[in-house]
Amino acid sequence: MKVDKSVLKQIGLKTLNTIIPVLIAFAIGSIVILFAKENPLNIYFILFDRSFFRIQGFLKTLHYAGPLILAGLAIALSFKSGLFNMGIEGQIVSAGFVVAVLGYRWQSLPSITLIPLLLVSGILVGVLVALLPAFLKARYNVNEMVVTLLLNYAIVQILEYLTSNVFRDPSSGYVSTNMIGQSAIMTRLLGSKLTLFFFVVIIVFVIFYIIFNHSKLGFEITAMGKNRFFAEATGMRIQKKIMIIMLTSGALAGLAGAGWMLSEKFSYTLDFSGTPGLGWDGMLIALLGSHSPIGILIAGIFYAVLKTGSSNIAIFTNVPAEIIVLLQALIVLFLSLKSILKIKPIPVGKLFQRKEKS
Amino acid sequence: MEIIKTIGLTKKFGDFIANDNIDLIVEKGEIKAIVGENGAGKSTLMNMLYGLLKPTAGEIFIRGENVHFDSPNDAINKGIGMVHQHFKLVPSLTISENVMLGIEIDKKIIVGKHSFSMPSIDHKRESKVVQALIDRFQFGLNATDVVKNLSIGAKQKVEILKMLYRNVEIVIFDEPTAVLTPQEIEAFFKTMRELKQQGKSIILITHKLQEVMEVSDSVTVIKQGKIIGNRITKDTSNKELARMMIGREVLLRVEKHYQDYSEKPIIYEVNNLSTKNHEGINVVNGINFFLREGEILGIAGVEGNGQTELLDLLTGLLKSTSGTVRFLGKDITNEWPDTLRLEKIAFIPEDRYEQGLCTDMSIGENIIAGYHGNLDVCKNGILISKKIAEKRNRLIKNYDIRVSDCEGKVSSLSGGNAQKIIISREFDADPLLLIAAQPTRGVDIGAIEFIHQSLLNIQKNGKSILLISSELSEIMSLADRIAVIYKGQIIGEVSGKDASREEIGYLMAGILERSHENES
Repeated sequence: MKVDKSVLKQIGLKTLNTIIPVLIAFAIGSIVILFAKENPLNIYFILFDRSFFRIQGFLKTLHYAGPLILAGLAIALSFKSGLFNMGIEGQIVSAGFVVAVLGYRWQSLPSITLIPLLLVSGILVGVLVALLPAFLKARYNVNEMVVTLLLNYAIVQILEYLTSNVFRDPSSGYVSTNMIGQSAIMTRLLGSKLTLFFFVVIIVFVIFYIIFNHSKLGFEITAMGKNRFFAEATGMRIQKKIMIIMLTSGALAGLAGAGWMLSEKFSYTLDFSGTPGLGWDGMLIALLGSHSPIGILIAGIFYAVLKTGSSNIAIFTNVPAEIIVLLQALIVLFLSLKSILKIKPIPVGKLFQRKEKS
Repeated sequence: MEIIKTIGLTKKFGDFIANDNIDLIVEKGEIKAIVGENGAGKSTLMNMLYGLLKPTAGEIFIRGENVHFDSPNDAINKGIGMVHQHFKLVPSLTISENVMLGIEIDKKIIVGKHSFSMPSIDHKRESKVVQALIDRFQFGLNATDVVKNLSIGAKQKVEILKMLYRNVEIVIFDEPTAVLTPQEIEAFFKTMRELKQQGKSIILITHKLQEVMEVSDSVTVIKQGKIIGNRITKDTSNKELARMMIGREVLLRVEKHYQDYSEKPIIYEVNNLSTKNHEGINVVNGINFFLREGEILGIAGVEGNGQTELLDLLTGLLKSTSGTVRFLGKDITNEWPDTLRLEKIAFIPEDRYEQGLCTDMSIGENIIAGYHGNLDVCKNGILISKKIAEKRNRLIKNYDIRVSDCEGKVSSLSGGNAQKIIISREFDADPLLLIAAQPTRGVDIGAIEFIHQSLLNIQKNGKSILLISSELSEIMSLADRIAVIYKGQIIGEVSGKDASREEIGYLMAGILERSHENES
């Protein structure tokens, strides 16, 4: 397998384009750390050492990376085709909520049937939430960005109402649904936080890697994103594709929400998705990974390192855990520089294409 | 007298040299034609003369005076005017208002020796002044007519008037005949000669060699940003000019064998097809035609008479409001593009870079597009990169597509080679019917020869072709029957073998009676 030189050069440029913003963010972050009278190198060492280079920490990182990778894939799938599904967050929390309720109601079922059932329910909820904007876009060409974005706020409000009134766990001291049954909780592996959910994520990842880089659908998604008129004229039925893409994107988000519930949260609370929220994190991950599956895998794990690392920083040093939020914000800021510099990303799949002898 | 002289005029865009050391001389009172293929640098040169672009190096002299233009206004002040290919007129205003736009004559009140300008326009005076100008150049227009009611040829005259009123000495025409009917072209040539008579100098940018031979006094050929040569028109031929433009011998007209198709079965039939555009206007208005097996039907017409919408209807991109399309006895009205492809209808779209290709994707990806679900490259929804590369290499070889890097993107190809990608893709699918729109628009003469030959070759194999083109000579040299579209309707039909330019020209202008006279 020979690799084209120009492709290598482009990949190098692309990687550089992703790494440089991260490095700048860390450099500026270190100034802030200096204000807290700590050694930045020391802090960064703790950040990476405990969450990446130690086995327990690494497994914990992978555990957090699972839903992030799914959210990243959901975003990338829609963005690559030129559709802007900004509703990942709403789809994730809806799926999480419904799975929490069902996980409590159906807890008499054995794990082996209950967990797959709940994951599938989560996927269905994600699809259902994505259905309205997808239909409006495909049928009436209503701007999907506006609809999905606004729907997020509506969903959060509805879920807040449902959680604090209809489905509230009366025995709980704070606003929360009932905890899901024991049989719905995914078992932890190797004495770490990691559950089987991560392997579900890996399977999904492999499927989407193939879809993005080697399938007819992936080809049509790329064509749609790059030139809609071309896609339409060459017989790729845009309206149908819009439905497929938006709904698949919703399904991925739904799976992320269900998995997050069954492997980490166990009951729906108002901070289920955290701050800024898994869906928004997914957007950063997709951006960091240049909408390519491999890039998203790496970016998802990197992002999870920051997440796990932040608690370690809070425990072992005087620097507040919020430093991580600052780093995230700076990364976003400098990543947007990439679009200013306008170096176009290339599909990672190209690396593995065989160079033809001619 | 040299009215324009440039010395070493050079324009670079980054590393790309659009104009390289151009030494151009235009004599006073001559019609100078500047010819070259698309992308040769003609427009760049003119934009520098008209103040739209600033030269990277070199000097421009007007009547011996060294000038530096910051904007077209500077150029107009020095007596250089330009008539663009796409007119810049306000449709709802009258001719005189358009001519006076920006330099209106205000109403004046005269009190004793003093005159005061009023904040309103003196329309009477304006139309009088413009009418005088029209009469002086014998343009045969009425200054108070509203522009939107004018024919395209008349609109072009208004553009010229705008320049004349501003007292320009040199008029630059950028591809002026692209939107005109043959009769309007004749009238335009008359106008040009009239301007010349009155002492104006004219620069004519074109790639139609026939026009150069007919109207110009001298020719300058530009290729890849450089001047290849200067000729006095009467001492050259369009063969020589074509050779200079391309750098090799070319056939200007392909060999075509006419035969009688009236016994062959009808395979494609369009009945009473209509559609509206987004403004609710009937742009395709009850079109009828049919196509026999092995026949080429040309649809001629001035651009903007419904060709684009008709094409979108026939290729499944637009829905009809009434009418039917039948192919091999099957009703295929309003079918999707992919279904039409499965029925073995292939398309060469009008806009190469919008509908035909995705410049941002690789050559291989473009070569399979539209047929990417076919078994030769795709199994169970998975594309086989090895098969795609095989297909790509085979087509690049068979269709002589010049690529520097076969893994590269389509954006790296020239117009002609990009068009060959579409042609190879559509021909390789072995269609029964090919719908080709403007197949040679913007490609160089060498590629035109290749494309015309390829179209005739597939006709030889018994395929039918529907050819929609605004290039009349293209239709006349390829089609067996020529239908003319005017305001969304087929206004008449002539046989391709003995069609005359004049006859088709009248139909293109919507004049029916004359063509009937010709028939009888």
